[in-house]
Amino acid sequence: MTLLLSDDGVAPHGGGDASSLLEPTSGRRGDSAFKAVALIAGLTVLAILGLIAYSTTKEAWPAFKQEGLGFITSTTWIPAENKFGALAFIYGTVLSSLIALVLAVPVSLGIALYANEAAPRRLRKPVVYVMDLLAAIPSVVYGLWGIIVLAPAIQPVYKAISDAVGDVPVLGWFFNGESGRSYMTAGIILAIMITPIITSLSREVIATVPSAQREAAYGMGATRWEMIRAAVLPWSRGGIVGSVMLGLGRAMGETIAVALVIGSQAKITTHLFEAGDSMAAVIVNQFGEASGTHRAALIGLGVVLFGVTIIVNVSARSIVSRFDRRSQGA
Amino acid sequence: MRSSKRSVAWLLAILVTVGLVAGACGKSSSNSSSDTTSASSKFDYKSISGTLNGSGATFPKAFYEETIAGFKKVASGVTVNYNAVGSGQGKKDLAAGTSDWAGSDSLVSDADKATFKGPFLYFPTVAAPITVSYNLSGVKSINLSATTLAQIFMGKITTWNDPAIAADNSGVTLPSTKITVAVRSDGSGTTSNFSKFLAAADPTDFTIAAGDTVAWPAAQAGKGNAGVAQIIKDTPGAIGYVDLSDAKATGLSFASIKNKDGKFVAPTLAGATAALANATMKDDLTYSALNTAGAEAYPITAGTYVLVYVTPASNASAIKGWLTYLLTEGQNLAKDVDFAPLPTALRDKALAQITQIQG
Amino acid sequence: MFLLAASSADSTAEAKGHEMTDLLSPDVERLFLDATTSRSRRVKNRLASIWMVGALLVALAPLTLVIGYVLFKGIGQLSLAWFTEDLPTITRKAGGGMGPAIVGTLLITFVAALMAIPLGILGAIYLHEYGGKGRTARLIRFMADVMTGVPSIVMGLFIYTVWTLTFGLNGFGGSLALGCLMLPIIIRTTEEMLRLVPDELRQASYALGNRKWRTILTVVLPAAFGGITSGVMIAIARAAGETAPLVFTIGAARNLNMNIFQGPMTALSVQIFGNAQTPFEAAQARAWGAALTLVGIVFAMTILARVVSSRVARRHAA
Repeated sequence: MTLLLSDDGVAPHGGGDASSLLEPTSGRRGDSAFKAVALIAGLTVLAILGLIAYSTTKEAWPAFKQEGLGFITSTTWIPAENKFGALAFIYGTVLSSLIALVLAVPVSLGIALYANEAAPRRLRKPVVYVMDLLAAIPSVVYGLWGIIVLAPAIQPVYKAISDAVGDVPVLGWFFNGESGRSYMTAGIILAIMITPIITSLSREVIATVPSAQREAAYGMGATRWEMIRAAVLPWSRGGIVGSVMLGLGRAMGETIAVALVIGSQAKITTHLFEAGDSMAAVIVNQFGEASGTHRAALIGLGVVLFGVTIIVNVSARSIVSRFDRRSQGA
Repeated sequence: MRSSKRSVAWLLAILVTVGLVAGACGKSSSNSSSDTTSASSKFDYKSISGTLNGSGATFPKAFYEETIAGFKKVASGVTVNYNAVGSGQGKKDLAAGTSDWAGSDSLVSDADKATFKGPFLYFPTVAAPITVSYNLSGVKSINLSATTLAQIFMGKITTWNDPAIAADNSGVTLPSTKITVAVRSDGSGTTSNFSKFLAAADPTDFTIAAGDTVAWPAAQAGKGNAGVAQIIKDTPGAIGYVDLSDAKATGLSFASIKNKDGKFVAPTLAGATAALANATMKDDLTYSALNTAGAEAYPITAGTYVLVYVTPASNASAIKGWLTYLLTEGQNLAKDVDFAPLPTALRDKALAQITQIQG
Repeated sequence: MFLLAASSADSTAEAKGHEMTDLLSPDVERLFLDATTSRSRRVKNRLASIWMVGALLVALAPLTLVIGYVLFKGIGQLSLAWFTEDLPTITRKAGGGMGPAIVGTLLITFVAALMAIPLGILGAIYLHEYGGKGRTARLIRFMADVMTGVPSIVMGLFIYTVWTLTFGLNGFGGSLALGCLMLPIIIRTTEEMLRLVPDELRQASYALGNRKWRTILTVVLPAAFGGITSGVMIAIARAAGETAPLVFTIGAARNLNMNIFQGPMTALSVQIFGNAQTPFEAAQARAWGAALTLVGIVFAMTILARVVSSRVARRHAA
């Protein structure tokens, strides 16, 4: 019987040892065939990822060769003069994603804690449903709302803030400018889009905190907030960081919503209320009629984006899995 | 008595109408210099069929949409499609052979000619003013000289109450609103014509290269003429270049631009027609109506063309029918959507060029 | 900002208390906050509660605004003509419908699903039933996770270089791109579902003399069917809403095109993207209507997925 028992819920290897006692050996071929088919299906993931890396880099190579390191260090992007320096777009992607994180993380963490710790039992499921719905809305719909509703409406707010604090030393570095389509608006839309991701992942992580930890804190007379600080947050810190990074990855890769509300003006500035541009937005705006080196440069932007999001995603997953292993061990 | 006088009047009216119609029919069969507004053709539209896919400039989009709808009524066997993606991509699609016809406000550069599958022809269709539209509450009209305009678009003038703008507009109080320049993000014939105007009228300030794409120093970008119109509409203090049709439909205010003769002219069809009258035509039927002489001429008048191959891969008769329609009945639709029809001489040359299409 | 909130919180704490307790679970507050809890600790606790509830309200605000606008501005567009007529010739004016775009979205997503579902389920079967902790399986699992993070525009560029450049603009290119987006999601969710199938079922099947492949096909998959369906529907909903991969690969079309291998097509997401960048009332109205249609499709699938998965969970619990 021990032959049939396995660990971790994985079926016995080797094509069913027990059944071989009862069936003629020809059936084993069916099993190997099926296993091969399933393996090939699984390998398509590797094939596709490899093909993405290979074909995009190959198409982008002429631009990389021409610009060298200047591709990511120069700010001069003038297709008509065959100059392709993408620094302004890289800056824009990073800036809009950072704004999104600053806005989304407190909100996501608050909701995740609320759903696990503070919500009445009957409200827990609806909160999860609401997050699912937020996540399901396509990004182009957020972009539509952003460009037609949010950008024109928030422009006077930016102007008021900029007029008020534009000249104040530290605040004025950031809260300056008066364009409805700007880094800030792109950051807001991105924050709305990544909140569900960070919330649901953080929630899962926080839910794994053993109740013994919680009860110990309460037993010592802690308030709910003190319990969260003492028991929940230290335990789930790794997982939360991982989920935040996954949100960051998603924000950096977002194209359509950002393209609609960022203003399409290549500019490196700390003024958040001014128009800017991002890598993904530039690709979608200029790709239609680009050819030759221009097209190669745009695909090159895609390669840079691909590389950056992979790095962010891999680091996020390793942090989360390290946390997973630690919590399972304890 | 009154009733008999009435019937005589009716009879006379009918006779006159019949006479006019007969005269018009008789005239059109000779295909010579008839008045543009009553142009008609005797092309047999019923005999052609097929699907014509076109792509290109957003500048004439409203005109092509009207004529596509009108053409469908006379030539029910033909479906014409037009994908307004900008002159740049329109030319590329034709070169690649993925479209049957291209709409473009700008010419194919010598370097790009080699990418085409064979020789092609330019057919002028309509012209219109490129407005300098702006969004400034309380300022219903404004004058801008070419120098001021160039400095604004080069980012040298950043607020509306700049002395240069005030100099063009004596007696008008201008607010201190920041100027937001709106330009095109896609490759555009409108950009090409506008930048060529600035380069011709003020080469001292406009020092960057003119063309389908321009390296504007500091501007927000929108897709298509409609995208630029949207930026201007949504942004207080914005200024940008938009074709008259889209600008009017969006409800924007336009600036009057100083022309070569020193007069500030508003972007109207009359101004465009005046500019066309003084434009020099080339043998391939292309022309430039930018910065022309004439007191009434609007200096930023742009024409647009339909490009087709001399030997189209397919649908040659449908293409000929479409072009004939554009240059005859289609011209009557131009004014309804704020485009200026071609001057008679140019229109006739274009109609004659249709016979060069083989197939 | 928090200092301002703190001072106001203390004074309005009592007033707020009543609405707040509806949103907060009551146990902790009353049981442990007694006279020995210092004021500052109580204030901090109250602030934290405000933060948590406030976060929920802050997240609800854009959701209600966006859905509200989409509903309010889009509902006027829906009619029989909306679903059946071609896109209008004259784009500035009202008229025509979204028929080709609706068909395009459904057709392209359907074909993408046809490709991604079998590959995804088979891949997950390999990972869970055969691969286990082996090196290949771990690598595939890791790469599938990585693939979920690839930006959709990179998928679009990839398919552009390998398909569109050779075969032109057509709906199938869009399907390929969407399929690549769906594949990793289906693999990971299916693997989770397979893991939930109790091993006893498999062992019972082996005991009856079934080979492994038969067990998987006839016992494991049906048992996991509900969960797999739910995961698949989530993936389809995600793909249906995508815009960037379609923009370069499917072209643009005004009329209905049912041939996915030939000729350009259009889709709801692409229509929204284009119409959002115009100032014309009629075009923007079409964008809102298309957004409502798209959100309707996506929500229907998401809610259906949740219903299926909760029904499965109930069956397992019972």
